[in-house]
Amino acid sequence: MAPAITLILGGSLLLAASLVLKSGKARDVHGQRNGMAVASLVLLLVAAILGWIRVVPDDLGQGLFRFDAAALASERLALLGGLILILMSWSTAPRAHLGEYYGCLIIMIGAVPVVGASNDLVSLFLGLELISIPTYIMLGIVKNDNAGAEATIKYFLLSAFASSFFLLGVSYLYGFVGSTNLQVIQNNFATANRLTSLALVLVMCGLAFRVTAVPFHFYAPDVFEGTSLTMAGIMSYLPKVAGFVALIRIMGTGLNSQTLEIVVPVLFVCSALTMFVGNFFASAQNNLRRLLAYSSVAHTGYLMLAMTALLRENADPNVLYSYLAAYAAMTLGFFACLGEIEAAGGKTQLVGDLSGMFYRRPAASIGMTVCLISMIGLPLTAGFWAKFLVFMGTVAAGTKDPLSIAMAVVMAFNAVIAAGYYWRVLSKLFETSDAFVPLRVFRPSLFVAYTICVVLTLVWFFVPAVM
Amino acid sequence: MTLIIPLLILLPLLVGLGMFLAGTKAESLVGLALGASGLVLALSLLLLFQVCGAAVPDSATNGATIIARAVYAPDWLHIRLPVSVGGHPIYWHLQFGADGIGALLVLLTGIVGFVTMIMATHQIRERLVSYLALILITQSMLLGVFLSMDLLSFYLFFEAVLLPIILLINGWGDKAESLKASRKFLLYTLVGSVPMVIGLIGIALQSATPVRPSTVSLELLSAIAKENQLAAINASPGDALNSVSTLASKDQWIAWILLLGFGIKLAILPLHTWLPTTYAAAHPNTTALIASVVAKLGVFGIIRIVIPLTPLALSTYAQMLFGGLGAVAIVYGAFVALSQSDMRKVLAYSSISHVGFITLGLMSMNSEGLSGAAIQMFNHGIITCSMFLILAMLEQRRGPVSLDDEDCGLASIYPKLAVMMVFFTLAGAGLPGLNGFVGELLAMTGMIRVSGLFTAIAVLGTVLGAWYGLRIVQRVLFGSNGEGKSKVHAQVNGDLKATEFAPLLALACICLFIGVRPQDSMDLIENDIKRIVSVSEPSSKAVHSEIDQLAQTQP
Repeated sequence: MAPAITLILGGSLLLAASLVLKSGKARDVHGQRNGMAVASLVLLLVAAILGWIRVVPDDLGQGLFRFDAAALASERLALLGGLILILMSWSTAPRAHLGEYYGCLIIMIGAVPVVGASNDLVSLFLGLELISIPTYIMLGIVKNDNAGAEATIKYFLLSAFASSFFLLGVSYLYGFVGSTNLQVIQNNFATANRLTSLALVLVMCGLAFRVTAVPFHFYAPDVFEGTSLTMAGIMSYLPKVAGFVALIRIMGTGLNSQTLEIVVPVLFVCSALTMFVGNFFASAQNNLRRLLAYSSVAHTGYLMLAMTALLRENADPNVLYSYLAAYAAMTLGFFACLGEIEAAGGKTQLVGDLSGMFYRRPAASIGMTVCLISMIGLPLTAGFWAKFLVFMGTVAAGTKDPLSIAMAVVMAFNAVIAAGYYWRVLSKLFETSDAFVPLRVFRPSLFVAYTICVVLTLVWFFVPAVM
Repeated sequence: MTLIIPLLILLPLLVGLGMFLAGTKAESLVGLALGASGLVLALSLLLLFQVCGAAVPDSATNGATIIARAVYAPDWLHIRLPVSVGGHPIYWHLQFGADGIGALLVLLTGIVGFVTMIMATHQIRERLVSYLALILITQSMLLGVFLSMDLLSFYLFFEAVLLPIILLINGWGDKAESLKASRKFLLYTLVGSVPMVIGLIGIALQSATPVRPSTVSLELLSAIAKENQLAAINASPGDALNSVSTLASKDQWIAWILLLGFGIKLAILPLHTWLPTTYAAAHPNTTALIASVVAKLGVFGIIRIVIPLTPLALSTYAQMLFGGLGAVAIVYGAFVALSQSDMRKVLAYSSISHVGFITLGLMSMNSEGLSGAAIQMFNHGIITCSMFLILAMLEQRRGPVSLDDEDCGLASIYPKLAVMMVFFTLAGAGLPGLNGFVGELLAMTGMIRVSGLFTAIAVLGTVLGAWYGLRIVQRVLFGSNGEGKSKVHAQVNGDLKATEFAPLLALACICLFIGVRPQDSMDLIENDIKRIVSVSEPSSKAVHSEIDQLAQTQP
């Protein structure tokens, strides 16, 4: 747990530091900004080194935390996303609340491995709430206007609502087994009955909110529209990773066929709805933020399809981790490019605002092009393998169940609908426009952030094994 | 010699990418692009000779039906995915190589790429370097498809062709239409090709057994497919588990998904609507490349993947349907071509009609039909490329060419261009002695053993083909009153320059050569076709008992 502990303790220290730093007119804003960002990066580096030198014992034990593959993968995903998100925050963090902002962000990053390593319902819930609570604070401080307040309240209420669903499901699980230990619960899945399925469906409802699955997606477009770009990036990534890792943790192993008969169709329907709603609503959007929110919903649909394959085949959860890694690179990269355009004085609210951006801001536009191609899922980008792996998992499950193949085809058609609106954004970038005003302000941190994303997106295509 | 294959793919890719990144200002790079393309043409000729000279393994080592005669498959060329399926980790070797059919299409790509680039230096006025760079990249991706010997790299290149093509359509096409057209092209192609990956994964995963990990190598997969098919055909009548219908229905979804993908690419009848829009919106020089090579990817996919790997499913469910669609496409394309007045659209629909012949040949699934289809891929590529290039030159001199108001006898102004146009129109119409005749005759000979009706419809199509071809010649070159005089002498912009005439002349020589001596090109593909037929013909006979009755009842 060393990396997670480092991050959470470090985050708390940064929170406390805000009390000391903030003082009077003599305040050195730039120094504080750089200092906070560097301190966060150092914390991340320490966490990464601690994770690197850790020796995993052969016997993983039965305790609150277990360091199996899911824990390691979630830690990697959190550190990867954390690096990009901190770089994105460097120049976009709200200056009045630097300490709170970075403290909350670091705690959120640290909470993902807590969820990933949890071997107990209590610690799992703790990890999930460690992501939610800082989110409320951050939503409130990054944008202090009416839209920001609306987004915060919406997110807060819905999040509490979803947590209660999750807790209701968990209480059934506890009632069924008499233990909160996940291994004990999973050992008892063999004798599961309808009630267990109900409990699992309730748990899925609770987590569906965090991964923005239909019908718990309503907040996403409003919140994405009402908050800053960096915050939208954070919200489209960290809760999603935590949600899916939690799903894998709770139901990844040991479900018996009677439970699968109920859980898998629910996931199928949910996944198909999530894809269709995400893609159709995104196609209809002219507002870029809402479009990205719906596109993030659609990606959740693909991931849920991968989840069904995993449940039935006991296939590698690596499908999900690889998808999330590719998703991190392409989505956060896209947000970083938009952030750079915004920081340079451009507008990024509507799709039309990007018109001719290639001639105004070439570097960011090339970055966006790579990210969009990756989101479409064409070769030469990591997005291709991400979709490929989901297809592969689904087809492998399809040897026993033709419905699975049909779902793969549904996903393929959804990918085409998605290609339509991504192409709309992409072609806007290269439109020849009259407003030929180059945007010259340079933000090194954002540039580095999206360069990392673009390079990862391209490199992962050639070596998908390390994705 | 083993380096020819990687060079063929990498050389145009690297030069193209370098030029594309260098930007539009570096006009001096035009020579480099032409040089690179010429080198690709030379390399493709070398590859052709290497394939010709290679010893043909007559009875394959393991019964495989797809065997490369020039191979490039080093050990480091593999893909390891972070998942395992059925207990085996996914570790796929990628292989590149060329058999006769592949080598023929590689040559076609080399020729068409070189010629379109020479013409582009006359045609394209703005951002010429980027245009040439994109053609080079397209060429590289196309060569990748034709040279790949495994499902994965086939699919990767097949998908990757989209990107440069879309940029070509969008960047240099008709200002008003090209954005919409390129979007339509993208979505149509993706509707076919994204589901296709499911089918390809299905084939790969089905090859895995508890003792054998999954593979994507076409050679191994085709051997497995042949083995399964033999077991099914030779199964005892009561053995329901191994019967023909069981195997066919097991592979059914794969065949359908793949046929959808390839069908959209080759613009089979109900899926063809992207084609006229795209051809009309793109610059005719770009269209020459798309129509001659990119549209052949669908045919190539069927002959390379669908026929050898899912023969029983194909002949059970789709052979007659697609054969019928091909026959209808021939007549439909011809009639629509007759009723259009925009010459871009006339050529687009004539392309649909000609591809119908190729489909007909493929769906006969016997040796005449398949060789006809393979040869016709090459022939149609050469002919349609020349026609679109001629159209490009006409448009450059006179603006959009419409058959309604261009009533002016251009032959007297542009005599060289007129000669070339008549020549290629005749080649397209299937005049004996030119290359179009060879392929179409073979395709129909193959089809008549399967279905007399479809062949009868196709024969009707050849008449219509001559009709719309001569209609173009009459309206554009000689005028409806036959006076042979131009009414608008003021717009004359000179006949073909030597650098415009020479490539067309070279293409004409190829047409004539294949028309007079088809045997040379037949020898090249004969062995490959024979091997494919060894699975395709038994399967179509096992399913359709009526096949060959027409041939047998003849005196």
